[in-house]
Amino acid sequence: MAFIKNQTPEPINQEERKHERDCPNLLAQLSDPNPTARRWAARDLINCPQSAVPLVERLKIEPDVSVREVILTTLTRMGDPDCVAGLVACLNSEDAALRNEALEAMKQLPDEVAPIMRTLLADPKSDVRIFAVNILESLRHPEVESWLIEVIENDQHVNVCGTSVDLLGEVGTEASRKPLERLKERFKDEPYIQFAADLALRRIYEN
Amino acid sequence: MKRILIVDDAATVRMYHRKILVDAGYAVEEAVNGIEALEKAIQTTFDLFVVDVNMPLLNGYGFLCELRKQDVPQSPAIMVSTEAADSDRTLAYQAGANDYLIKPVKPKQLLTHVRLLLGEVRE
Repeated sequence: MAFIKNQTPEPINQEERKHERDCPNLLAQLSDPNPTARRWAARDLINCPQSAVPLVERLKIEPDVSVREVILTTLTRMGDPDCVAGLVACLNSEDAALRNEALEAMKQLPDEVAPIMRTLLADPKSDVRIFAVNILESLRHPEVESWLIEVIENDQHVNVCGTSVDLLGEVGTEASRKPLERLKERFKDEPYIQFAADLALRRIYEN
Repeated sequence: MKRILIVDDAATVRMYHRKILVDAGYAVEEAVNGIEALEKAIQTTFDLFVVDVNMPLLNGYGFLCELRKQDVPQSPAIMVSTEAADSDRTLAYQAGANDYLIKPVKPKQLLTHVRLLLGEVRE
């Protein structure tokens, strides 16, 4: 007797795309109640120029962690000025998780972020300036040390300077020595600055 | 000897807090993000946590939320942050922090809060 294979239907893939993949549809699906549809839309919007702004707007309100991750991946892969501007806007958010996510995404965009670094380091909000210094950590740009020196010479905020000193301990050269000594003098009542600057100076001396 | 876990992604901050706490006679361990901290907190009993807010992988809020769900001794936690807004302070307490200090923390200030939470001095 011939073996007759049981004709069971193909399992339905829950992740299957259910809509057209053109840009207007994908943008509409970013608001779909189903997170799977939103995740697919966020992923496929990589091929749609000018979708950075709606992606960032969705990121600000998206409750599903996996959709947020895909939006951030798409934004970092696109990496255009709108993406960077949107991520910078997220640094100002009240949502700590969003700020962290934007920060980590910007670390993946060294070439795109470098041109706006001076602007970020001069932002009126100290939190944004601290985030900018954190981004410098992974930027590996030739100007990193001179930007940090500028910060510790001019910034009035102790935590902005403290964060910069941490990084100067890793990337600083002889050029940072005098600025670090001047910083110690400027914040002589701040034990953390004294500790961090001494550590950075010791590392520079050892190198 | 009381054991304290310092959770911060900034090496210099960890070293600074470590020096203050070790000089005061505490045993100190370190973690560089919330995930590492959670692993250590599950494996080892700590008497206190000193936790930064902004860290990669799992931030301080996330770490405390997860820690408070675990079946481990629920030791007190001090959250230490550069962010002074009331909303950040509220988030910290909602996540399970017992205290909130603004960076940079002075040695005497940190030790006062540590000793209070460890019940070594009266408020």
